[in-house]
Amino acid sequence: MTPTSMPPRSATRLLRRALPADVRDSVEGDLCELYVRRRAQWGHVRASLWYWREAFAFSARFAIERIAAWLRILVGPDGMPSMLDFKLGGRMLLKHPGLAVVGGIGMAVATAIGAGAFAFFNLYLFPDLPLHEGERVVTVANWDTRYGNDDQRVLHDFLAWRSEAKSLVDVGAFRTSRRNLIDATGQADPVTVAEMSAAGFRVARVAPMLGGVFIDADERAGAAPVIVIGYDVWTNRFERDPRIVGRTMRLGRTTHTIVGVMPDGFKFPLNHDYWVPLRADPNAYAIGQGPDLTVFARLAPTASKERAQAELAVIGKRMAEAYPATHGHLTPRVMAYTEVFADTGGANLAFLLVQSMLALLLVVVCLNVAVLVYARTITRTGEIAVRTALGATRGRIVTQLFVEALVLSLIAGLAGLGFVAVGLRHVDKLLAMEGGAPFWVNPGLSVSTALYTLGLALLGAVVVGVLPALRATRAQLRSTLSALAGASKPQLGRTWTTLIVTQVAITVAALPPAMILGEHWVYLAVTKPGFAVEEFLSAGLLLEREEQAYADADLETPAFRNAMRVAQTALVARLDAEPAVTGVTFATEIPGNHWYDHTEFEGTNSRRSARSARVAVNYFGVFGVTFVAGRAFTPGDLASANVRPVIVNRTFAEQMPPGGRVLGRRIRFVYHGDTGRRAWHEIVGVVDDFPAGKVGVEDPGDTKATVYQPIAMGELQGTTIFVRMRGQASPFASRLRAIAAAADPSLQLRRVQSLDTAYALQRRDWKMAALALVLVIGSVLLISAAGVYALMSFTISQRRREIGVRVALGADARRILMAVLGRAAMQLALGVGVGLALVGVVDFALGRELAGRARPFLIPATALLMAVVGLIAAIGPARRGLRIQPTEALRSD
Amino acid sequence: VSHQGLGEFEQMVLLAIVHLRGDAYGTPIVDEIERRTGRSISRPAVYVTLRRLEEKGFVSSWLGDPTPERGGKARRHVKLEAAGARALRDARQIANRMWHGVDLATLSTR
Repeated sequence: MTPTSMPPRSATRLLRRALPADVRDSVEGDLCELYVRRRAQWGHVRASLWYWREAFAFSARFAIERIAAWLRILVGPDGMPSMLDFKLGGRMLLKHPGLAVVGGIGMAVATAIGAGAFAFFNLYLFPDLPLHEGERVVTVANWDTRYGNDDQRVLHDFLAWRSEAKSLVDVGAFRTSRRNLIDATGQADPVTVAEMSAAGFRVARVAPMLGGVFIDADERAGAAPVIVIGYDVWTNRFERDPRIVGRTMRLGRTTHTIVGVMPDGFKFPLNHDYWVPLRADPNAYAIGQGPDLTVFARLAPTASKERAQAELAVIGKRMAEAYPATHGHLTPRVMAYTEVFADTGGANLAFLLVQSMLALLLVVVCLNVAVLVYARTITRTGEIAVRTALGATRGRIVTQLFVEALVLSLIAGLAGLGFVAVGLRHVDKLLAMEGGAPFWVNPGLSVSTALYTLGLALLGAVVVGVLPALRATRAQLRSTLSALAGASKPQLGRTWTTLIVTQVAITVAALPPAMILGEHWVYLAVTKPGFAVEEFLSAGLLLEREEQAYADADLETPAFRNAMRVAQTALVARLDAEPAVTGVTFATEIPGNHWYDHTEFEGTNSRRSARSARVAVNYFGVFGVTFVAGRAFTPGDLASANVRPVIVNRTFAEQMPPGGRVLGRRIRFVYHGDTGRRAWHEIVGVVDDFPAGKVGVEDPGDTKATVYQPIAMGELQGTTIFVRMRGQASPFASRLRAIAAAADPSLQLRRVQSLDTAYALQRRDWKMAALALVLVIGSVLLISAAGVYALMSFTISQRRREIGVRVALGADARRILMAVLGRAAMQLALGVGVGLALVGVVDFALGRELAGRARPFLIPATALLMAVVGLIAAIGPARRGLRIQPTEALRSD
Repeated sequence: VSHQGLGEFEQMVLLAIVHLRGDAYGTPIVDEIERRTGRSISRPAVYVTLRRLEEKGFVSSWLGDPTPERGGKARRHVKLEAAGARALRDARQIANRMWHGVDLATLSTR
């Protein structure tokens, strides 16, 4: 038979690897025989395909068989674990504390990462809607194929869907607005209100606890203003007044009659506690215009989501034909209710992939621990032999080792779950600051997360316990049979070498970027802004949008700007009259938190990224910022809306392209996708960098160069106001609220806090980030070290006798040890080399950030650190090797 | 060997061995079952079953001579053992007892 008529070689190799020894030859022979026959009949290609299919089928079938056999071993008649096994497991942990700590930390961090991702995906991306038949509640949105997102200006479409779609019932819409709740004393408190169709209450199928809900007729213009409140509001603001229905409450300038109270836990549509009727007059807007709305509905009793989708597609097509300019690129889509708020974009597969990768991380960590355990188990061959002699089966011994590992992995899993709980609570706190998570998100640990963690712990225990146990007991069988023949000892194969090299390489490659990031984060966590932050009170400033008066699209109208200017001027005037106030100013963000824009220099093609701050004319005076050159802004600078001078900070001036002077030079802003030419701005002043250091610079590579533009009062919605006080600012907070409400009841203040608090909150976030990073870096280093340690102690324990004999024969123990250490050193060197190559690639991709002038020592230092960590890990076992006494070594075998 | 019942597939494999009369190994067993049942069956399942039957002592196997058309690999021949024959007989008797008195014609197809 010629070699070319043989079946595909790789398929045969697969078969050989997958099949147990007793059937390997016969199956391979049978398939080969059949292949030769089929090839004669069908030709080479078809026969090869057939052979591959059979190879896969056999591999899969026998893999299942093997797993079943392991399971039989584990739960076989004498394989059931007992309490004693668990006690022994605990005792083993105490006996080898190093292994327990190193393995435990690594497994805990890996479990936390895996379980955390699982919890997050489940909570935020694949939630269940806790409403009656929640899976039949849907949202409808208009997908914009040009931008790949939903166009929310759907007022006209919403009305068409509501009147025409037969497969949907109770079609409604809502939008969220912030309103000032004015209490009896005149204090204003901004609250989140759902402007919602009456259909919302029908979709949720929840009845009010007191009174009623509003009806469709309340949505008409001119109907008396009504409001429904939630249980929490009823409890906290109205002391559970049973006669609440009919009382009134004031939102901004409008007085609403309370018609009902919803039961505890009702937060539909998102996380709302106040509901007013949605009033949106389609006659006020052109097609494709209007407020941003989210449309919800229930599927009609017999309809499916697919049918609703088909029906809406028809309506959408008609709209597109009738209004090609606004609707030509829009397609209606029907989604599960929660989907529109956490758009997975059909990326479920990607999430599954991420999930598996993270589980794999745990397996890699566990493999390291497994080798440690293996090395330990090998030293227990005596114990295993005695137990076998006393009648314990292989299954019984494997069970015991599995339970020992299970004790470790369960403890690690519990710790990991603890990390996840803390992390989830932190995420929830962050969400609460942004207005809270949707009502279907339960931030606590769910049963499914706990079960998933248990699954991870079992997986970990199988890798850590069963794999070494199977190998060790097999070795045991073999070595007892052939001990006298001096058969070869169990070995750590090529897989292990590859694993260590890969691990060291990844550590070396990942450390420099992580260290730069970590250094920056630690810096952000400890750096203070360098001015009297406790003297400043800051608050976001917004003018409330009265119903119908200013729709979203009208925010930039002259009428609205004028209203904003009047309100803001009144507020500033009242604040200036306060004796404790020494200054009032405003800007788009708190100092150091401005966004980045690109700037271009006149007469060059040169562009720079810089923070773009828009500040009041008196900003630098109130904050006491020192001028390096030029002048401050004056009210005259505001005369033109477009051609205004700018002031830059010292870093910006230093980083300007050559051209000598700074003052008098002109720059302009360049925006992404900009086609029009923007106006040039003359630089009239240079200020010191403010705030100190790189406060607020999130990415280590970003500059703190800043350009300041002057803005007038009322020019922008959503600025931040700063009030400077004599002494501590925080006690003034409630007074500030009262003054604002008195100046204009529709002025909203958000996040009234001292700048001290604002920066402290930012520092806390960076602290958390830095801590998480340190934990991950630490465990990566630890696991790499554990790998080297495992390898060394295994090698030493394997060659114990050999070392003893050679020492007895007068060889220099140190030279022998160097030979033994050689393998670890080789692997370390190989790993560091590959890692350095990787880091070069990463560096190149990052635009030479890492090896840049600033940190020429970082990469060599990382390589050195890795080598030192590896050698330290090797020293312990090596010293043990040096202490081996010839007599002892000979006796022990 | 303890008293163990035979699965349907195990019965088919054992009966195929009986039908093949001494020339039984993987490939002809698969062919025989497919020929008699008119169904296509999973080849790996037959090998897994053969292994299990041998563990139970129902069949025994021995290696033949390696041949070049098999890539130098030997055939594993199988033959029915006394325990296997007994198990087949038991299975037949149990089936007969269960079928006794059942008239297929009167079975409702509801």
